[in-house]
Amino acid sequence: MYKEKKLAYLLFAVLIVVIAVLACILIKSNQKPVSYECTNYAMGTYVQQTVYGKNSQQAAKAAAQKIGELENLISWRRSDSDITKLNQASGSDWVSIDPKTAAILQKSLDVADKSYGAFDPTILPVSSLWDFGGENQHLPSKKEIQKYLKYVNYKELRVNTQESTASLKRHYMAVDLGAVGKGAACDEAVAAYEQAGADSGIIAVGGSIGVFGTKKDGTPWNIAVRDPHSSETQSASLGAIDLRSGYVSTSGTYEKYFTKNGVTYHHLLNPKTGYPENNSLVSVTVVCDNGALSDALSTACFVLGREKGAELLKKYNAGGIFITTDDKIYLTKNMENTFTLSDRKYSLVKSGV
Amino acid sequence: MILKKKDLFLIAFFLCLAAVLLLCFNKNAGTGIAVVERNGTELYRFDLGKQKGTQVIDLGGEYHVKLLVEPGAISFQHSDCHDQICVRTGKLSKPGQAAVCLPAKISVRITEGQKTIDAFTG
Repeated sequence: MYKEKKLAYLLFAVLIVVIAVLACILIKSNQKPVSYECTNYAMGTYVQQTVYGKNSQQAAKAAAQKIGELENLISWRRSDSDITKLNQASGSDWVSIDPKTAAILQKSLDVADKSYGAFDPTILPVSSLWDFGGENQHLPSKKEIQKYLKYVNYKELRVNTQESTASLKRHYMAVDLGAVGKGAACDEAVAAYEQAGADSGIIAVGGSIGVFGTKKDGTPWNIAVRDPHSSETQSASLGAIDLRSGYVSTSGTYEKYFTKNGVTYHHLLNPKTGYPENNSLVSVTVVCDNGALSDALSTACFVLGREKGAELLKKYNAGGIFITTDDKIYLTKNMENTFTLSDRKYSLVKSGV
Repeated sequence: MILKKKDLFLIAFFLCLAAVLLLCFNKNAGTGIAVVERNGTELYRFDLGKQKGTQVIDLGGEYHVKLLVEPGAISFQHSDCHDQICVRTGKLSKPGQAAVCLPAKISVRITEGQKTIDAFTG
């Protein structure tokens, strides 16, 4: 009789162990989110997506399609895009464009206005002379730059968002949304994730990033900031941003450049001079609640320089990380608690702006 | 029906076993991230938990350092350095472990797996 009881207790104990282990396995398998990762090529760069939730694959595919559609609207390289139509009609008439194109143009004009032209969407007449990253990449003559610089003027780009029309006032003027497109693509992707009912997701279009929802474990998205000294193929990070929501974009001199007669020319052109801006900055990273804005602001801040750039960011309630050629990192005040430096080669300066 | 001391010990033993198994399961979730640095600058970051298959990383340099990345572990496979401490350190697999090749100024350390990079800007 006693032996039977003893056996019952032991069996009970074994049962507890088995239940505990099974419970653990069940909890773990439930914690593992259903995710879908994919990489494709758009906007002249790699697009990387990781989407979580039951509809993750559907959401990622929808995002890729939306990005493709956006590129067909806003790329000046596409023969039938809205921007090509607008550029071809420069100096003549207003053209009808997609409401999405109109909204992006309007955002670009807003940044151009608030940055006093440090960012200018009508840069194409000059940027096409340099053709950074293209087959005809070269140092244009001063004469050429002077000739085409007079056609760079955002004030002569007019957009009507209500009627979805736009016009360029003078012939030879042309729009290039290359400094906004990647961020705008992130906006499209995040909207697609939401529409498809995904739980959360992250998209990287080149150096522009957008996040949707919160990570399953509740931790912020960890966005590494590239060390400007590292090569493109072996990108190393100098630190990371804890991002709960929003968008991140970086403009850096290392993205597109060439060297001629010992001088390095990078792609971040000052719309007022037509030449690459050299103001001791290597890169500017902007965190903002809109992708297109974060992209435009990173370019604007690079051209404006650290102090004026930080002032511009204030107007958009955005955060900034300014990295200088002498390896100093300046943070705007709202980035102080979200950026962590990991590379001791750099020194952190909290600008308090 | 009164339990004897011996029986109580047995039950306690099984309860402890359940607790240990629970802990083990939780620990396995945090597979580390291997951070490779040269002179304090990060060169690579490998999520050892996601690593599929073996991979040899040739870091070159004066000492021709090569790293071996495997599922769940990383090690110095080769270095021309005199003391060979880095190679002899063997496989690193748990957060907190580190190996350094001082002459080549290359370090490999394992950090907590929770802080994986979600995306890269720049």
